[in-house]
Amino acid sequence: MTDTEKLLQLKNLLLDEDRELAQKILQKLDELQHTIDTKPELAEKVNPIIDDKLKVFTEEIPGKLGPTIALALEEQIKNSQEQVVNILFPIIGKMIKKYIASEIKALSDSINAQINKTFSFKRYTVKIKSFFTGFGQTEVMISEMAKSKVVQVYIVEKGSGLLLGSFSKQNTIDEDMLAGMLTAIKSFGEDAVQTGDQSLELIEYEFYKIYLKNFHTYYVAMVISGIFDDVFKNKLEDDLFRFAKKQINPNIQNKAVLNTQLAHFFKDA
Amino acid sequence: MLKSKKIVLVGHFGVGKSSLIRRYVQNVFSDDYFVTVGVHIVKKVVQVNNQELTLLIWDIEGKEDMKKLRPSFLLGTSGFIYVLDASRPSTYEILEDELDFIRTNYPKTELVTVANKIDLVDKESFIATLGEKAPWITHFSSAKTGECVELLFEKLAHTLVQ
Repeated sequence: MTDTEKLLQLKNLLLDEDRELAQKILQKLDELQHTIDTKPELAEKVNPIIDDKLKVFTEEIPGKLGPTIALALEEQIKNSQEQVVNILFPIIGKMIKKYIASEIKALSDSINAQINKTFSFKRYTVKIKSFFTGFGQTEVMISEMAKSKVVQVYIVEKGSGLLLGSFSKQNTIDEDMLAGMLTAIKSFGEDAVQTGDQSLELIEYEFYKIYLKNFHTYYVAMVISGIFDDVFKNKLEDDLFRFAKKQINPNIQNKAVLNTQLAHFFKDA
Repeated sequence: MLKSKKIVLVGHFGVGKSSLIRRYVQNVFSDDYFVTVGVHIVKKVVQVNNQELTLLIWDIEGKEDMKKLRPSFLLGTSGFIYVLDASRPSTYEILEDELDFIRTNYPKTELVTVANKIDLVDKESFIATLGEKAPWITHFSSAKTGECVELLFEKLAHTLVQ
């Protein structure tokens, strides 16, 4: 072996390993470059990291950014109320409409279920009513449910406000005091407005009304739930005149009898 | 049979009408002054001659002149309690006119007159200063100490059922 060959062999022995390493590094660099340049491959590597970070970020938003966002929103709403209302109004309107529609549907379904379940006389009356009026059975049932009802009746002496008789389908506050306060309110209103001989006739609340009917020495106050229309009012007045003639006038001094008669007369009204 | 009677307390503002009623119905007293606006109605059932009697007591806002009271609040009254403040002469200066007004306009109604806040004055000296007005006052009470309060209402209740 010549010196040159020996030198070459020595060179190979010393540098081969380095060259191999350099080759491998170059190859890795190429692969890395390829991964960076190729989107799907880069995504495959990076996405899990981003996903993890996003997950942490999402979890931390309510705690870290929540108060800041709420403050910013509050400020924004305060400064531009009209715009906010304009934006929210159609959305809320739709939501309410949707809610009411779903509630009515639920009510309608429940009534339908009731109709189907109940094999009763009432079912036939509703059917007949529905046939003659042209309205569906559900509508007829709903109108039946909203019907006016006399919930409480008080016969009160005019002036003194003393209770002469009463009937109530539900628990109420002390009836003597109620009669007194009702008289005070009635007198105050009539005095304050000073419209001649006119009397207070109706006190209207959201879900019920107090109808007051004056007679000579007493007045009758009736608490009514449901729809209080002229048809019901006329019928009620007719009933009341009949009751006053038959029961109140002869028993005006007898509270116990009046109470019994009131219960008998108004229990289904 | 349960009977009901309407009793109305009248008199100047601040004489202790509401306090007398609170002492009688709830047996409580407070030094805090609350003006009665309009009317406040309370009820007490008492036994008179072994019979139950319901007293509907109307506590109406005080006025310095009876004529200014809302007449509709006084209609149908069975008994008036005229209240004056023993420590304030202005509350009984025109007592005669006030009592005359009640007797003339409500001739069939019982009337008792009570000098309240008697704990604040010397009773004997107070009666002496009343002079000829003294006989018109039938009771001397104190809502604060409770003196004569129950007796006042009970005597009136007895009179009403007779």
